Amino acid sequence: MSRIASYTDHTLVRADATPEQIARLCREACEHRFAAVAVNEVHVHLASRLLRGTGIAVACAIGFPLGGTSTWVKWYEARSALRGGANELDVMIYLGALKDGRYDLVEHDLGAIVRLCHDHGARCKAILECALLSDDEKVRACQLAVAAGVDFVKTSTGYGPSGATVHDVALLRRVTPPAVGIKAAGGIRTYADAIALIEAGATRLGVSAQASLQILNEERLLMENP
Amino acid sequence: MQLDPKTIDSLVEEITRQVLAALNEQSGRSGGLQRATDTASSCQQCEEKGAQRLSKTIRDDTRRPGILSDVQVTPQELARYIDHTLLKPDATYAQIAQLCEEARQYGFATVCVNPVHVRLCAQLLRGSGVGVCSVVGFPLGATPTNVKCYETQQAINDGATEIDMVIHIGALKSKDYDLVREDIAAVVRTCHNHGAICKVIIEAALLTDDEKIKACQLAKEAGADYVKTSTGFGPGGATLHDVMLMRQTVGPDMGIKAAGGIRTYQDAVAMLKAGATRIGASASLKIIEGARSAS
Repeated sequence: MSRIASYTDHTLVRADATPEQIARLCREACEHRFAAVAVNEVHVHLASRLLRGTGIAVACAIGFPLGGTSTWVKWYEARSALRGGANELDVMIYLGALKDGRYDLVEHDLGAIVRLCHDHGARCKAILECALLSDDEKVRACQLAVAAGVDFVKTSTGYGPSGATVHDVALLRRVTPPAVGIKAAGGIRTYADAIALIEAGATRLGVSAQASLQILNEERLLMENP
Repeated sequence: MQLDPKTIDSLVEEITRQVLAALNEQSGRSGGLQRATDTASSCQQCEEKGAQRLSKTIRDDTRRPGILSDVQVTPQELARYIDHTLLKPDATYAQIAQLCEEARQYGFATVCVNPVHVRLCAQLLRGSGVGVCSVVGFPLGATPTNVKCYETQQAINDGATEIDMVIHIGALKSKDYDLVREDIAAVVRTCHNHGAICKVIIEAALLTDDEKIKACQLAKEAGADYVKTSTGFGPGGATLHDVMLMRQTVGPDMGIKAAGGIRTYQDAVAMLKAGATRIGASASLKIIEGARSAS
């Protein structure tokens, strides 16, 4: 039984992902017992149908990857995804408002989605896009997300200038209560990357589909030949 | 803004109901693929506004490049072709305000911003003749049609005059052409019902030439006003090859917006000569400076 798999959101959020590729993603998730598949909203319904009864969650990206839609639109998008069968939403925060110091906007924006998720028995992850933030801003964003009631804070979209770093995960872990998870995402390519991020405090990893299979393969080889 | 879920829910239901009613009325009338002149809803004002905007689009389009190969384009003329763009996720209010100030000063066609900034831009640009362009389903195109329509409606309510929507690229790849066309057509109807222009982003860098042609045909069938090469967030931006291919495919009646990686005056003019009628650029000021030193 893979340890890494239970941490992993098996992810395919490319713009050109086809239903065939999503079906394969779901098959792989069942086979390797990943925590979730992470997909764009157009594929939520298919993924949720394919994974019904497997215990594997369907995570959907919202306001993704720019966070540049209004709260109303994020909320509508989130509701549509939850009705389509999503169990987890990865929501990009309103980054411009954070940069402007309009913290109440950031918190309200997230809070609306969190309440909606929890009403539907779903979990909400707030994406901070750490590569665009100073350390102070990361801490602030984390505090706002926690105040909004999120279940996870997440480092990156994978579309930003860079992905998860050990430094960011450790920082987020320090300022986030233990009940709130940390999802490291973006640029996780190897087993060593995955282990380093877990040791730094990550409780979930967002890994693109090809890389997650390679990481499991590396893990298996290491367990067979320690 | 206080967000009580129940209030939002009932508002959303009401808005959705009205939008759907308007959409149904449209598709009932003529199969859903129409131009702005006959799509405007029962609202007389919208109808006039829609017709005005369409005739403006046509005027813009008849200034079709090719004209540029004969006549030197002045910086002022060039500015009218440019969507002055700032779509970074961390754009601040101050940066957006500056963008609007520049657009007013240089006379750009529009400012192109994320939906969160539309309201501010519409306020700042009122009466300036500069439009407000917003993006929908951006940059992945991977939200369902109902979400794209809702997003379009919200942006127009906030003051957007043009909408750049991203197609459902995955559906195009798996040859589900009806889905791609209907996705576009629904957004186009929402735009035209409210007098807004609809541009359709095909994200050419992810497509084969055959797929680019198909995407352009579907956008044309869906009644879009423009096809647009790229989001600027994909693996590549506008190329002359793509612009020429798109012009060949859509014919003379549609606009073409070249966007992504257009950094200089020379880039911009080359795109216009290849058949583009609009340029999306964040380096707009540099492009205009280039035009000044060239003239």
